[in-house]
Amino acid sequence: MKGIVLENKILNDKYGIICIKSDEFAQNAAPGQFLMIRPQPYDYIYDPLLRRPLGICDINEKKGTFSLLYMIVGKGTKLLSKIKKKTELSFSEPLGTGFNLTTDKKVAIIGGGVGIAPMTFLSKILHENNEVDVFYGGAEEKDILLTHIFEEYSNNLIIATEDGSIGHKGFITEVFENSLKFNNYDKIFACGPKPMLKAVYDIIDIEKIEFEVSLEERMACGIGACLGCIISTIGTDPNSNSQKRCCVEGPVFNGKEIIWETVCKE
Amino acid sequence: MENLKTEICGIKFKNPVIAASGTFGYGLEFTNRIDISMLGGISVKGISLNEEKGNPMPRIMETHAGMLNAIGLQNIGVNKFLDEKLPELKKYDTNIIANFWGKTVEEYTEVAKILDCSDVDMLEMNISCPNIKEGGIAFGTNPEMTFEVVNKVKKSISNKPLIVKLSPNVSNIKIFGKTAESAGADAISAINTLLGMSININTRRPHLSNVTGGLSGPAIKPVAVRMVYELYQAVDIPIIGIGGIMNYKDVAEFFIAGASAVQVGTANFVNPEIISTIIDDLTTYCKANEIGNFTELKGTLRT
Repeated sequence: MKGIVLENKILNDKYGIICIKSDEFAQNAAPGQFLMIRPQPYDYIYDPLLRRPLGICDINEKKGTFSLLYMIVGKGTKLLSKIKKKTELSFSEPLGTGFNLTTDKKVAIIGGGVGIAPMTFLSKILHENNEVDVFYGGAEEKDILLTHIFEEYSNNLIIATEDGSIGHKGFITEVFENSLKFNNYDKIFACGPKPMLKAVYDIIDIEKIEFEVSLEERMACGIGACLGCIISTIGTDPNSNSQKRCCVEGPVFNGKEIIWETVCKE
Repeated sequence: MENLKTEICGIKFKNPVIAASGTFGYGLEFTNRIDISMLGGISVKGISLNEEKGNPMPRIMETHAGMLNAIGLQNIGVNKFLDEKLPELKKYDTNIIANFWGKTVEEYTEVAKILDCSDVDMLEMNISCPNIKEGGIAFGTNPEMTFEVVNKVKKSISNKPLIVKLSPNVSNIKIFGKTAESAGADAISAINTLLGMSININTRRPHLSNVTGGLSGPAIKPVAVRMVYELYQAVDIPIIGIGGIMNYKDVAEFFIAGASAVQVGTANFVNPEIISTIIDDLTTYCKANEIGNFTELKGTLRT
């Protein structure tokens, strides 16, 4: 697919958000899905070679647009941050298996760092017919973005930063653990660094609360062919782990099925 | 499409563009993106006797104009392939090349025997995977071992043509081409990935769990073209050129160097529709240059 860049806003020296016009994409995307995008417009330039996997941050079906939040970390995302308005970019259709949505539930959304990206789209949808608390963590104030969206589309927005520059000081998982004393959540949705996700898994009573996580892996193709993004999960055979492709069976998994020791070590 | 038709080892190809093993899954991953019936062939993900889990993560790392991989030949095993994947694949009108490997000579011959009696069109033995501890590259970087494994596999099959996929991680690829030919190979495919490595300078750890990995993508194309050129001078059997092909011009380059067909690999990751673009562009190229059949380009290097 191809689409025209409507806006590419640099939020600070770590993050940018790009908005692209594509009716077809906007109509077909679901929360938790991702895309593979070429970070520059020329198909005859082979460096960087691979497309970048980015979570779908927001959709505007009426306008036929979608947004991607990206962290400026490497060659690809640096190039992406320099893309000008009106540039035509090529990208895949919405990929992967997204979140299983709930209705009439009390849910918590936990996002860490750039892992907040797919949670924007998710909270907008969930907030229509659920009670939604958003727990948003980062290392510093620069990592806390798009708060206006969460303020609008959640019942409570709780922020924590490791340096305390905004919100509570410490890990968001500590704040979340504390909140469990006063709140009974039916379901937790989480996306962020793997140690954060594992911490949530360790905190909650996994038999009582539904727990869905969105995982991030390096991937070459995004469509299940390269086998570069394998996630170890509990399989039907008790003697052997199952291997799931983060790009097809994921990126959203049932947190109960993940073999956290292996996934975090890797 | 007439001007792209060709024949390799008696097998008819509608065009000489094949999807390379390890980059196209079992083919079925691509069916909702392109019409895989338009491909000359599909070399499926390397099959072994038993299911293989592959290497721990991380398995891939992007490099300049290329990528390193150490997947470690994760696959579902030959029986599952034949039961679950091949019947689906046979619904499409394209040649199926069964890429296979083993940890021992016995495993190679056993898989080959099973595949030889199946519905695939050709066999491609991988003696060049750099990412597994046993088998693979160990066979492909020692001429005596290359002869033994190719010869034993050839003797154990009787129905399908045998392609031998060579490793570029040798000092003289001609020796390995000649060895494979004399051991009974019906064709050669070259090259597999180049052994490479990438390090995270902050953690001082390798980017891949396997430490080293195979380099692929446009970065390796000049090496691959050179090796196809050398092999063309050394062997009489057909050569299938592989290495960094991104467009129809790259295909032409491999043909001029001596290839009879090509495989497109890493490009499928970059753009899953790319292989159909390449085939369309080759047709246009033939028409624009009044080339009756694209194979006329084979080995026409002027030096």
